[in-house]
Amino acid sequence: MHPEAAPDIRGVIHDIGYRRYDGPRLGRLHGFGTLFLHGLRGVFGLGRTAKAKVMPFLMVTIMLLPAVVAIAVMALLKEAPLPYQQLSVIMQPVLAIFLASQAPVLVALDQRFHVLPLYFSRPGSRMDYVLARYSAMAAALFLILALPLTVEFVGELLVDPPGPVHLGAYLSSMAGAVLLAITLGALGLAVAAATHRRGLGVAAVIAVYLVLTVMSGVLLGVFMATGNDDKAQWANLINPFHLVDAVRAWAFGHPPGDFAYPDGLAGGLIPLGAMLLVIAASLGLLAARYRKVGS
Amino acid sequence: MRDSTVAIMTILATEGLTRRFPRVTALDDLTVTVTPGVTGLVGANGAGKSTLIKILLGLLEPTGGRAQVLGMDVATRAEDIRRLVGYMPEHDCLPPDVSATEFVVHMAGMSGLPKTAARERAADTLRHVGLYEERYRPMGGYSTGMKQRVKLAQALVHDPRLVFLDEPTNGLDPRGRDEMLDLIRRIGGEFGISVLVTSHLLGELERICDNVIVIDGGRLLRSSSIADFTRAAAALTVEVEEGHGPLADALRRSGQEVALDGRALVVQVRDDGTFDVVRDQVAELGLHLVRMEHRRARIEDVFRGEEAVHAP
Repeated sequence: MHPEAAPDIRGVIHDIGYRRYDGPRLGRLHGFGTLFLHGLRGVFGLGRTAKAKVMPFLMVTIMLLPAVVAIAVMALLKEAPLPYQQLSVIMQPVLAIFLASQAPVLVALDQRFHVLPLYFSRPGSRMDYVLARYSAMAAALFLILALPLTVEFVGELLVDPPGPVHLGAYLSSMAGAVLLAITLGALGLAVAAATHRRGLGVAAVIAVYLVLTVMSGVLLGVFMATGNDDKAQWANLINPFHLVDAVRAWAFGHPPGDFAYPDGLAGGLIPLGAMLLVIAASLGLLAARYRKVGS
Repeated sequence: MRDSTVAIMTILATEGLTRRFPRVTALDDLTVTVTPGVTGLVGANGAGKSTLIKILLGLLEPTGGRAQVLGMDVATRAEDIRRLVGYMPEHDCLPPDVSATEFVVHMAGMSGLPKTAARERAADTLRHVGLYEERYRPMGGYSTGMKQRVKLAQALVHDPRLVFLDEPTNGLDPRGRDEMLDLIRRIGGEFGISVLVTSHLLGELERICDNVIVIDGGRLLRSSSIADFTRAAAALTVEVEEGHGPLADALRRSGQEVALDGRALVVQVRDDGTFDVVRDQVAELGLHLVRMEHRRARIEDVFRGEEAVHAP
């Protein structure tokens, strides 16, 4: 035994016992940010199983198809791009399926597996939880819309088809994407949070979308057939995608393409009021729901 | 000076705490004080244990009364309290499709730990609760014992001053139960974190607790140190090959309190003299002494005895 051997022994101590944590304990905002990022990643299946990634990435791919086609048309036929503002309305079934399949991921699973008590026994409040989940859903919806819009716009800049660059239409559509994300995100989350069963949540969100779309379509058809075109325009707004698009068209003055919305100040203020009401009512429902569950 | 000492020595305190649900009163005018260390909260199912913990965490509002945790009022400082306490719920609370590591890191972040610290603490804590390679696998495939360990880890990951463990041994086999109890003992000792642990089994808590609170129907039955509980239950088990009857009579004549328990006699220990009396009487009657041991005092027995006394 050499005395010099002693320092070597220090290197093989593995268990250093329990260590206290003396570092910072950040505030509620940090918890909110953590939950927001966790939710946003979860919506796209990141940090979850491979199976969980299939649906969101399939939807992202489908959303990109019109942009790819538009770029091809611009490049080969030298024509103007597909109108940006039409993307959300044309692709509404895809967006609805994305919302229906992913909103329950954010709200049903935590109820189903009783994770809520763990969140609610930490610094953030119940409303922090609701708002973080809502922000994640809205951000995911915005991303899935903004990505194809931006891809198409970059394509337009690179291909440079005849005519002016459609910067205004692109920006107005991006703003429309924000409106759609905050409205449908709230609505979808409120419906999905009503049950802890994921399948039921998916079906419920789809059902709400279908009922509103069919109702809107039937009334639109009836009013058109009877020559009540102005009433038909209002009936069109029962579809939430058209409601938000009407607000966008009114606020940014870019035509909605094939879709006719009511004119004038009322044609803007009423859809805007209805949109805000949908958001407020949805958040109210969520707040009420989360006062009850998880204790 | 005296006030500050009191504040440090009291981990939590309730005063007339009451919680009524539409059909039952879960807590009924409960006043208790808990000191640092490991405290057992014992009661039958439905006695109000979980309700008390939920009120202390600010998950439920009390109908009446007041409560303080770590010197802070639950009504006004719930957020500050929740920053410094950990909670392991009774029921399953783990999403099956994420790994233990990812889950515990996430929960550390929710408790306010920055990203790097959350990763380090999660790895440390999972090691302390005894979860190794399996921590990278989705939790859906875990055994009950492993799930309980992850539940414990998420309650400890932010290094709380106090943890509430609600029925941590539920569903565990005897070996898993022993390991969990050892772990709780270490949390209270080596880790220096005060523990409030509930159980409907009095017996399993006596090994690990410094103090025990017994509640029933939302009311306090008894709150005292383990030593007080066991002192009252000191008894001697005496077994002889034949002649239990004569021995019992002889002992009673010499002033001992004797009860028959199966094939053995249970003699209440008054003082050291009791041992001598038993030895002398066995020798005098010429009996074959098979066993004479200090009966492992069980708080359960004390509780049963008290219940019998209180019953009308």
